[in-house]
Amino acid sequence: MEPTLINAYITYTLEHNAAPANVYVFAKYANTTEQAFYEHYSGLEALEKAIYANWLTQAYEQCSQSEPWQGYSTREKLLSLFYTFIETVKPNRTFAVFLKNRDTVKLPKWPAYLSGLHKRFIELVKPIVQEGIMNKEFAERKWLDERYADGLWLNFLFVLTFWLNDQSAGFEKTDAAIEKSVNLATDLIGKGPLDAALDFGKFLFQQKTGS
Amino acid sequence: MEQNRIPSSKVERAMRFVKTGAQIGGNYIKHYSKKIVDPSLSKDELHEDNATDVYNALSELKGSALKVAQMLSMEKNVLPRQYTNKFQMAQYSAPPLSGPLIVQTFVKSFGKTPQALFDSFEMKASNAASIGQVHKATLNGQQLAVKIQYPGVAESIKSDLKIVKPIAFRLLDMNEKELDKYIKEVEGKLIEETDYELEYERSLHITEACKHIPNLAFTQYYRQFTSKRVLTMDWLDGLHLDDFLKTNPSQEVRNKIGQAMWDFYDMQVHELKAVHADPHPGNFLMRADGVLGVIDFGCVKEIPEDFYLNYFALLVPEIMSSPERIRYIMEQQQIINASDSPQTQANITDAFVKMTNLLRTPFDYEYFDFGNNQYIDAIYAMGEEVSKMEELKKSKEGRGSQHALYINRTYFGLYSILNVLQAKVQTGVRNWRKPLIEFHLGRA
Repeated sequence: MEPTLINAYITYTLEHNAAPANVYVFAKYANTTEQAFYEHYSGLEALEKAIYANWLTQAYEQCSQSEPWQGYSTREKLLSLFYTFIETVKPNRTFAVFLKNRDTVKLPKWPAYLSGLHKRFIELVKPIVQEGIMNKEFAERKWLDERYADGLWLNFLFVLTFWLNDQSAGFEKTDAAIEKSVNLATDLIGKGPLDAALDFGKFLFQQKTGS
Repeated sequence: MEQNRIPSSKVERAMRFVKTGAQIGGNYIKHYSKKIVDPSLSKDELHEDNATDVYNALSELKGSALKVAQMLSMEKNVLPRQYTNKFQMAQYSAPPLSGPLIVQTFVKSFGKTPQALFDSFEMKASNAASIGQVHKATLNGQQLAVKIQYPGVAESIKSDLKIVKPIAFRLLDMNEKELDKYIKEVEGKLIEETDYELEYERSLHITEACKHIPNLAFTQYYRQFTSKRVLTMDWLDGLHLDDFLKTNPSQEVRNKIGQAMWDFYDMQVHELKAVHADPHPGNFLMRADGVLGVIDFGCVKEIPEDFYLNYFALLVPEIMSSPERIRYIMEQQQIINASDSPQTQANITDAFVKMTNLLRTPFDYEYFDFGNNQYIDAIYAMGEEVSKMEELKKSKEGRGSQHALYINRTYFGLYSILNVLQAKVQTGVRNWRKPLIEFHLGRA
């Protein structure tokens, strides 16, 4: 039932160039009743939040079941998830652009309709990050490593907004944006210059306070 | 020279170049202040400093900037040695595509993952090219080579070249309008190189026309696995020049391969009037049985008829013995301009005649031994000499037609590969001179 409601919601919005005004109007359009609607969602806002989250779930299922997934490094798993997600949203680009024009994303904040996506993203990415720390691909850093997923979420939002504004043929620029930004993010999370910077910062701090 | 990250935005890339521009400025200041103290200081150190800075900037930028560097590195005659040595380092290396990006590219092109399309597909690239990489695959027992291109290359070329322009302009000391002519030529070719569907068409055409040449091997391409950014062909066995030489091939085998290469170019230039204009060692595979494999038809230069008639006339002794014809050709090729003083015209003409006499040498004999290092060194020495000519250095105008850019590069590449291969080649087979003599001197 949920997928049907979501599809009806998207179709309604595209046809009217506006979201349904209330549950009554929408339930009638979707050939159902208000009561049946409330069995699935507490309101239209809740339904809207579920849309992006569902796309991400679909994308995750698709790429995590694909053949190369098991052999992928953590970096590659993230890349794969980002690419598949954009492919999943692509058939609904008009609707996604409609939402973007209604409430713009201003990093590091995001509008309400993306909060379901945020929650789902953190749920899915935390285990991937954990795996990265276990296999030493990502550096273990006290306090900081708990925020890795949050950092990747901002990267994810960047990619989504980049794609929504991308005018290049076949969205080739989005592919490049994913490749480059995820590589940078995972480089930073991995052992490297960040540790040297932190170590140096700590040293300077100790000079000030220690003596 | 290690790339940890690639500057991504246009602004960031522009910043790299601004920084380089400033560094070059700084190098000049360093040079002239040292020169006050030590007047004997040559410009060598300055060129070396500049080249290092430019190279460092380019190697961080990759993509089309890398291609331009490659291009310039072939033009030994245009740039001082110090630049070309540094630039040559840019010839091999490119950002690798991640596994998921490869899958993504396939899904976009064919709606399927490479694993679903082929019986096997190696996710690890076996070769890198400047705008993409090559993967091994198999289908129905046949080994395949799949070339995959980095996304967005075609789109970033124009903006990259806009950024390269002020630098090139400064290095070559040429006025902007003149330089534009050459940049446009390079840009056009670069954009063509990003279109693998076009490469597919061209390879079919050239392969068909050259298949009768002995000891030449071409690969079979697969249209159904080809898109703008993916090109699939049969895997061709053989070694690249450097590795091939390590196997100590006999003189006979070297000659056979050299001959195949020579005949291949002769056929393209004089019959097809379209030439595989990227003769760098990475595009050829050599085998112990003396067979030469040709891969990569990304860069094909079509030779316009009027350019052909004038450019190759310089290689015909009968035509070169007529001063009026020489003058006509020099004007047609825009090597001398109406605005030059008679003395300048005479000096430049003189130098060019000397140079073409030298370049023509292989054509004057039935057999020519490219292993003769003296000959190749003489070409380079002549190039250096010409590039130091006051008349050319002071000139803000480009000399020579833009078409000559890729044709020169082709011949320099061909000569230097044959030299490294130490091959003796029969050069005097094809009679291509007759139509040129008829055109310039009339029917005898």
